[in-house]
Amino acid sequence: MQIQTHLLIEDLLNRTEKATRAVKRFKELSIEQLNYKKSATEWSVLECIEHLNLYGDFYLVEIEKQILAHKSKAPSTVFKSGLLGNYFANLMQVKDGKVNKMKSPKDKNPVNSVLTPTTLDRFLKQQERLKSLLIQAQHVDLTKTKTAISLTGLVQLRLGDTFRFFVYHIERHVLQAERIHAGRTSPHLSTSTVG
Amino acid sequence: MASGQAFIENLINILDIISEQRTISKGEFLIREGQIEKNLYYIETGAVRVFHLSEFEEQTIRFGYEGSFINSLYSFIKGTPSEFYIEALRKSTLRVISKGQLLDIVNESNERLKQYNSLLETLVCQQIEREIDLLTVSPSERLRRVLERSPNLFQEIPLKYIASYLRMTPETLSRIRNS
Repeated sequence: MQIQTHLLIEDLLNRTEKATRAVKRFKELSIEQLNYKKSATEWSVLECIEHLNLYGDFYLVEIEKQILAHKSKAPSTVFKSGLLGNYFANLMQVKDGKVNKMKSPKDKNPVNSVLTPTTLDRFLKQQERLKSLLIQAQHVDLTKTKTAISLTGLVQLRLGDTFRFFVYHIERHVLQAERIHAGRTSPHLSTSTVG
Repeated sequence: MASGQAFIENLINILDIISEQRTISKGEFLIREGQIEKNLYYIETGAVRVFHLSEFEEQTIRFGYEGSFINSLYSFIKGTPSEFYIEALRKSTLRVISKGQLLDIVNESNERLKQYNSLLETLVCQQIEREIDLLTVSPSERLRRVLERSPNLFQEIPLKYIASYLRMTPETLSRIRNS
């Protein structure tokens, strides 16, 4: 995949803004509604959001580190996706409202932890940070700058792919949280092991 | 200092008469970020913590014990949205007094005003103490300073919040205590 850098960043900023608006609406809900789950093994709204926070703890720090360290004076205006990065990003992406089911790593599974409304506030702060990083990334080479990933130390992804993966992953679980609240969880999302 | 103490004693006596009592359960918030602090709270029983939320963690900055006053002070003084949360660490009963009520009491006489000034001086000094805490590099020295001020800390407050207050992990805190 290949795309003009400014178009990619614009698209990711729009998606980020949309997720932020959705989670701001969750702030109106009661703590009972936020903790509601259909069964013990499924996630509540807050668990979906805490899952995202746990990813943010890793990726926002890593992305910021690489942006601050980047050296290139004249970044390319085109982003070229890497083979693996493109695969991961596409895996996360919601297509026509459909989400392919996958397992969450244990350390990123918040199921049955004690969560409070600060979970939402923390997520919204992370979204602000993400927005700021996306804006800063306009002046960074998204292809040449590499970031570590949380799953393994053996692989690095291109910054552009990491952003895509990260933002699509947020979209995916915000959608999951919205469906849990709407009480019409789709079969595609019916277990706690959705990535 | 003595005069500030006098104000507190007066205030507690007055609170018995004019303030409303509120009970909050563990995990409930007295105030959340973004809200404006309109009250001063006196803790009759229980304990609370004041914390600041970042993208990555909750940083505990102050505790309120039985017999102490607490609120989100900056917001209370300036009338701006609070940067802090105050959460009950267990079931707590509080006396609530509004900013208006407090100012009425303060402005009642010259003597009261002096006492109130003295109380504010005490608060400023406490803030400076806390500032030195945060500037202190050695973790064990940070713990020693806090225990001097609040010897009952570990009886009142769960370990993980003390660790957050001291800017160290719970594991580091346990290690220092045991050594």
